Amino acid sequence: MKRMMKTLLVVGLSLVAVGQPQTAAAWEAQTTQVGLAEQAALASVVHDRLVSLGFKGGLFELLTVPPADAPELLAALARLSPSHGTTPDKRGQQTALSWIAAGAAVADAPAEFAVNHYFDPALAAAGKFAGYQRPEASAVNRLSDAVRRQMGRMTSPKVGVAAPDWLNDKANPFNLAAFYDQYSKAITAASPGERARHMAAALTALGATLHVLGDMGTPAHVRSDGSLDYLGADPDDYGSRFERIAALAFGRLGVPAPSQVITRGSVREFFTTTDGKGLADITARSYFSAGTLPHSVSSDGAVPASVLVRPAPALPTRLNLMAASGADGTILRNSAGMCLARYRVAQGMLAFFTDDECQLEQISATLPTTVNYQTGLTNYLFRGQLAVTVESAEFSVRSATAMGEGSLSLITEDAQGTRTVAQVRRTAAAAAGADIARLPVPTTAVWFVVWTGVDGTNQPLVAVGTAPKTVAPAVEK
Amino acid sequence: MLSVLALATAWTGCATAPSRVAPFRQRSDSAESGQLAGPFSGDVVDAATRTPVVGAFVYATWSYEAGTGFVIPAGAREFAGATDSRGHYNVPAMPHVPGTRLVEFNLLVYKRGFVAYRSDRRFGDFGPRMDFAQQNNQVALERWRDDYSHIRHVRYVGGGAAMAALTQWELADAAEEQTARNRTAGGPRPSSGTLVVSAQLLSEQDIREITKFDGKFETGPLQDEPDTATYSSQHFKAIGREETWDVALRVWRLPSAKASERYDELRGQMPAVDEKDDIATKSFLTTAGEIRGVGFVDAGRGVVAIVTCGTSICSSPDQASAMAKAIYAKLQKLLPAVGVTP
Repeated sequence: MKRMMKTLLVVGLSLVAVGQPQTAAAWEAQTTQVGLAEQAALASVVHDRLVSLGFKGGLFELLTVPPADAPELLAALARLSPSHGTTPDKRGQQTALSWIAAGAAVADAPAEFAVNHYFDPALAAAGKFAGYQRPEASAVNRLSDAVRRQMGRMTSPKVGVAAPDWLNDKANPFNLAAFYDQYSKAITAASPGERARHMAAALTALGATLHVLGDMGTPAHVRSDGSLDYLGADPDDYGSRFERIAALAFGRLGVPAPSQVITRGSVREFFTTTDGKGLADITARSYFSAGTLPHSVSSDGAVPASVLVRPAPALPTRLNLMAASGADGTILRNSAGMCLARYRVAQGMLAFFTDDECQLEQISATLPTTVNYQTGLTNYLFRGQLAVTVESAEFSVRSATAMGEGSLSLITEDAQGTRTVAQVRRTAAAAAGADIARLPVPTTAVWFVVWTGVDGTNQPLVAVGTAPKTVAPAVEK
Repeated sequence: MLSVLALATAWTGCATAPSRVAPFRQRSDSAESGQLAGPFSGDVVDAATRTPVVGAFVYATWSYEAGTGFVIPAGAREFAGATDSRGHYNVPAMPHVPGTRLVEFNLLVYKRGFVAYRSDRRFGDFGPRMDFAQQNNQVALERWRDDYSHIRHVRYVGGGAAMAALTQWELADAAEEQTARNRTAGGPRPSSGTLVVSAQLLSEQDIREITKFDGKFETGPLQDEPDTATYSSQHFKAIGREETWDVALRVWRLPSAKASERYDELRGQMPAVDEKDDIATKSFLTTAGEIRGVGFVDAGRGVVAIVTCGTSICSSPDQASAMAKAIYAKLQKLLPAVGVTP
């Protein structure tokens, strides 16, 4: 397997590193990102949640977004490869799972949005701006940028919004507010067609959100590194070699399923926590990125700590300079034996670099971690579930977790599938397991309750509950 | 000077139709890298019988990107076609799309009853496919088995409007599987016992020897229902002839008691049944209009089979009976341990 991977990389990649400071793409959107989102969704609660809300096929339910309703989104999706399961048909129809994948694929569109997928936890911990900042360009690169602009090509914005903040940024069309709004409407909207459209929109936002978190699994995105390599013969075709290797070796389909589901108390905590348990924290301290390898230093004496761009990963106290004097140098491994970089001594200088094989080892380790976090975030966003119990002519609504203030809507559904908001009630904060509200049992067989507000830790929440199936509707008087 | 150099580089890129290196070879027997733009050609066969698969859907896509560092999708092109009567396909080369870079080519081949084929990944382990070649590519379609995961297959197929329409039937199965998986926190159920595939039990050569038919067949599963772990079919459609020249075989593999029940059901559905009981545990011969049929059950093996043939190719009931006997002989070799049923 490993040999085959290497062969593939040799065939697929004939690259020349140039280290030109520009904005890198994330995990490749149409392959790795889509695969990650698919795996996270399949391992999450989303399928069951969709079924309980009336989308009987769950993740495989066909949902339609009429092109006239979302022309920009449909146009963006039409530019993707149809073979990766992210392109709806001409009616705007594809499965729920494909809408999640589509969100993951278009999170970088327009291209300037890619700069909002960076977050450097070390800078954040130091109270500094932690998002993307375009490196100071050399005179050559400034001139090159000027030529590009004259030719109608893009250059990167100077700064980006830090990734966790981008999820709440108004400029982000797939922000969390959009997700919650569309998710809520997917339950409350009157017709099945409207509900399908809103659910597709919510799932697209989910996919885009997973993309942003997924980028925290790439070292460059969490170590303020925008260095790029040539990816093909076209002189304009440069991007992240690390991410290209991931796409060639794993692609969309080869991304692993999660081995565990990470739980956190807020969206931000999936990115970073004060005790360093966010995905960005783990990636940043575990790997070097191509542009943040230790600096070259004279091999005469001990290696000073100043060669490190970040304190972690640290260098061992002793490097094997003898082995490093060979033509290929030798490998720097972490305590688990994984390749972090290669180093070589030549002409009295100790230099660090990475090769495809080393990067493939890192990708094989970081992809499973990434999908574990993404599955956790998916469950977190769909965590709101209400327990509905009927007692004579009334039903009570409870949540297993503490709730802040919010608004509870009672939705009834008739035999034609048309839903009506029968009642809306403001609700006060409630302890875990306490009644949020008590309402009369509706006269229809199918009904739902939707609660929107903040949870006990002041995080946004949409929670849903469905009528117990064993309960007959109350008789209409 | 730098501006001039930058411009010159850009012009060179435009003039040579920018494209990434193809991750596949030009031909299976060459070391030379292929061209993403194409053209492509190959043959599609049934992996079980090595016979051509006619009318398989052939779907090719090319993906383009634009941008410098800021890579953006710049559209895709697609080609939809089908394999011909020899199971052969040709995909024309895609002309260069100005202002873009060709970064990916994918070929999908699909026929209901088979596992789809992708040029970039294998179905079994989703690993990179290393044997795809631009020209004279060999595609061996594996028969669908009931222990395969529909979730996995839906993901594998990916998308494209035409492909999605062809595989839409599978979504309900995938949804049901996902629900069951969530309930049990387990995967799809494993295979049980030796799989019986109709194509292993009757070949074109067998038919020719028995009937002296000298024409050609298009082969593949019948379109009524897909192959599963308990059911398999094979249709020998005579090319350029009426249906009375066709032969079809349906085989069920079930627990012993269920096999006997299935046989009784089958016999009850047939008009003018002549109970011969000269093959396996029980057998019958039937003729309905221009179709002859022979059914049998081997209760010990839990196998029920019915072979049907038109009166043009099976000119006498004895020929239909001979086919059934040939099928049973192969079945005995395939499942030698009598009494072992799933």
